[in-house]
Amino acid sequence: MNILASRRSVRGLLVVLFAAVAGCVAGGAYDGGVDVGYGVDFYDVGGYDYGGWGAGYGVGPPRRGGDRGRPDSHPAPHTSYRPASPSRSMPSLPSRSRGR
Amino acid sequence: MTSRYSGHDGFLTRSSFGVLWGLGVLWGIATMATAAAAATFVLPPLVQPASGEHHEGKVIWADLVTPDVAGAKRFYGELLGWTFNDIHTGSGDYSVALLDGRPAGGLFQRTPRPGEQRQPAWLTFISVRDVAAAERHILAQGGKLLSAPRSYPDRGRQAVFADPQGAVFAVLQSSSGDPEDVLAAPGEWIWSSVITRDPDKDAAFYQTVFGYEVFEIPSEDGSTHILLSTEDYARASLNSLPADTARRHPHWLNFVRVNSATDMAARVEVLGGRVLVKPFRDRHGGLVAVVADPAGAPFGLLEWTDTDSKQAAK
Repeated sequence: MNILASRRSVRGLLVVLFAAVAGCVAGGAYDGGVDVGYGVDFYDVGGYDYGGWGAGYGVGPPRRGGDRGRPDSHPAPHTSYRPASPSRSMPSLPSRSRGR
Repeated sequence: MTSRYSGHDGFLTRSSFGVLWGLGVLWGIATMATAAAAATFVLPPLVQPASGEHHEGKVIWADLVTPDVAGAKRFYGELLGWTFNDIHTGSGDYSVALLDGRPAGGLFQRTPRPGEQRQPAWLTFISVRDVAAAERHILAQGGKLLSAPRSYPDRGRQAVFADPQGAVFAVLQSSSGDPEDVLAAPGEWIWSSVITRDPDKDAAFYQTVFGYEVFEIPSEDGSTHILLSTEDYARASLNSLPADTARRHPHWLNFVRVNSATDMAARVEVLGGRVLVKPFRDRHGGLVAVVADPAGAPFGLLEWTDTDSKQAAK
């Protein structure tokens, strides 16, 4: 019985190990291709609905030095982040063109 | 009894040898297969010649994950003038989009699984100096690892995460350095926004991970708009999800610089894409629109003139 049990155990172990190593060969890949490290499940959750966008919904970058919304003397509301110092002017995109 | 145990031992010895032999062969195959795959999949460097520049927190790359690379090449090629350099990997395809010879983004083929209710998207890559350190910070701040860090010889080291509210992004430690801080040309990525449920909390997350300066931007409609900045340049914004959206999911949205959002939005429809948000005037004075390519991947169109980056009129 011990021998039979051991044989079954070792065969079982062999099957499991074979499957695991075979998985390393065939798996780890991106839909059968090379894993480029983007995550096998990366497809974003669908349903982008931008219905509320429109006038007043600013999403782009501001102009440099643009309005920061409140005078320096006005206390900022509590925020989870550390707001930039009131003395800092609003940053914008780079203005220099490539090669200049 | 003795013979039974002897037989047992002999059986185990033979089996163990067989197991080890089998595993050795399989490991050898695995190693060769991995090496062969790595050898055939070489991502180009981000910048050539190597810049040596590093701009932590800057969005430096975007990859489209799509079920139809050929269709995406037709669409983006005709819309933005991109050309493509294909990298065949055997069973998967990756194509590097080029604008005037400069890498503008990547297109990656990925067939959705049957019944999968997800959509193609552009994946945003943010520059970091050290992927391992970024991973520690992201996980400590409630982010989630979606794809473990991996290295590619010429590209660098990268990993994919979700922020605490579920917006997916990647970090990239570029081995050739980061693109220089110049104004994007029309057809290049110029801007990125995180459209999220709670911009305030997300701003704290991204500030801790990437060291951003954070500016609140006043908005006319009462929604929250936050600017993330490093090195005195605007890098991205955080925007609250519009209140009346039927289905909400936080995500990064990248914008291409265009000369006319109106013309380009019309062109998107001609080429089989969709207009998700019609062009509207944004805070800087130019028009902005949100569109989707024929496979459904959304991206933005942003008008920006050479003078828009300069000092605002007081």
